Amino acid sequence: MKKIKIIAGITWAFLGLFLIIILFPGLNSYSVSVSKLPFMKLNPRYTGGEVANQIVAENCTLDIRKPVFNGFLKERNSGFVQLDWHGKVPEMINDSIDYDHDGYKDFCIFIDRKNSKTVLNPLNRKVKGVAISTPTSYGWAVRVELSKE
Amino acid sequence: MDNVLKIGGNRKSFGKSILYTLPMFLITFMFMTGGRPNFSDLSSGLALLTAFLLVNILYFLMHFTGKTDRYRAILFIIFALSLSYTLIHNMLEVRKSMSFSQADILECKIPFCHLVIPMMILPAAFTKSIIFPGSILNGFANISTMIVLWLVATLVLGRGFCSWGCFYGGWDDGFSRFGKKPLIKRIDGLWKWMPFAVLMMVMLTAALSMMPTYCSWICPFKAVTEFEQVTSVESAAKAGIFLSLFGGLVIVLPVMTKKRTQCSFLCPLGAINTLSNKITPFMVKIDKNDCNECFKCVEACPLYAITRDDIKEGKVSMFCSKCGKCVDACSRNAIHYGIKGVPSGTLKNFSRNLFLFVSFLFMAIFSAGSIIASFHGLLKLIF
Repeated sequence: MKKIKIIAGITWAFLGLFLIIILFPGLNSYSVSVSKLPFMKLNPRYTGGEVANQIVAENCTLDIRKPVFNGFLKERNSGFVQLDWHGKVPEMINDSIDYDHDGYKDFCIFIDRKNSKTVLNPLNRKVKGVAISTPTSYGWAVRVELSKE
Repeated sequence: MDNVLKIGGNRKSFGKSILYTLPMFLITFMFMTGGRPNFSDLSSGLALLTAFLLVNILYFLMHFTGKTDRYRAILFIIFALSLSYTLIHNMLEVRKSMSFSQADILECKIPFCHLVIPMMILPAAFTKSIIFPGSILNGFANISTMIVLWLVATLVLGRGFCSWGCFYGGWDDGFSRFGKKPLIKRIDGLWKWMPFAVLMMVMLTAALSMMPTYCSWICPFKAVTEFEQVTSVESAAKAGIFLSLFGGLVIVLPVMTKKRTQCSFLCPLGAINTLSNKITPFMVKIDKNDCNECFKCVEACPLYAITRDDIKEGKVSMFCSKCGKCVDACSRNAIHYGIKGVPSGTLKNFSRNLFLFVSFLFMAIFSAGSIIASFHGLLKLIF
């Protein structure tokens, strides 16, 4: 038994040596394999959620994302909807948004990019306020706080 | 006579040390240069050469002098400094600031570090998603690459990762070496269980808030990497907390205790690495036959991993990070690197050589990129 333990220990140690030696040359391919694991995707709270609707205007595109209510074990009562303006975004943005596709506008949003001023006019009681309004590398992004009820 | 033989028992002759360094020399050469060193740009070439020589001279000295911790710590501290230098330098070039903005978070551009891993576990299991605004696969410090590096290193080295791989550990390791004698001599050993409490707390709060709470609120190393832009009372409070923790646990207490207090009392990843010590092949062992219970190793241990009771029982606790400080402190070579399953007191040199090769190789290659980049940056500043 003692000899088996010694042999097993030394084998495990050499396996460790082997693992470290092959770690760095194969790091990219191992990373690709790990990235394909089912849980290796960013939570919508960070990505902003899937794009649900796209409005294309001259030189500028508005992505309206799916509302995000993700929680740990169940959905939360509060969440947000993210709007992304791409391309040549005008200095003044003034858009009316129907985020839940029920045919009625849910809020109007006015953004003065020059002065970083954002004004939200809720038309639906589920719309609570502006969480984030910021310039991005692709244009401008806004997160509007929502509640479920 | 017996004692004389054992003193410096890990020491090797010059020729033997060269022979032991040769494999490290060849492997680090291949990894650092890709087999084709490029000296077309003088400062890049010099930076590469300096880093390459530094790594191999330190490894040679480990064999030649028989001392481990002294030379490990040099590379470990340089790694921590150079990583912070490289990161801050890049951020200042790209963002003109050490702080990240809301846009960086929205665009998932935050570099990932291994300290986030404990907070990912529950959300990954229950929501099948990662709660971090970083990149899954592309770009600098992406999530997949950092997970692979940490996972393999922890599997092989256990908590050794904290002394041979963690690019933050060098900060409090460095500060714990200031001063000759500790100003605070006794801290209750119970505190070393604190990281487990922090681990539980951050795992639960991260799952419930779907936010990496340790990174947002606690992590002291934001002081030497990047932090949230101070735009509100909340972000100002966060800045106050991480700066206080950096000052207290990474600078002041390590200087006063000569111990790595952040690693010992706070780090939640250290708690996971501590558990992984149970499965790794390498460990520090005590040869009861040679031990005269001088307890120098207890005083030397920077992580409160060895107590007087442990010495009497002949076992090092699972908190050990295999830094080698206790091994260097023991004049009788009674405390030594060992391999799981191999009885203590046997195969001492073989175990040390194998462990040093594995752990040093990991640190050398992992740190090479940032050390070369920081040397390059310094050379550009000088010339």
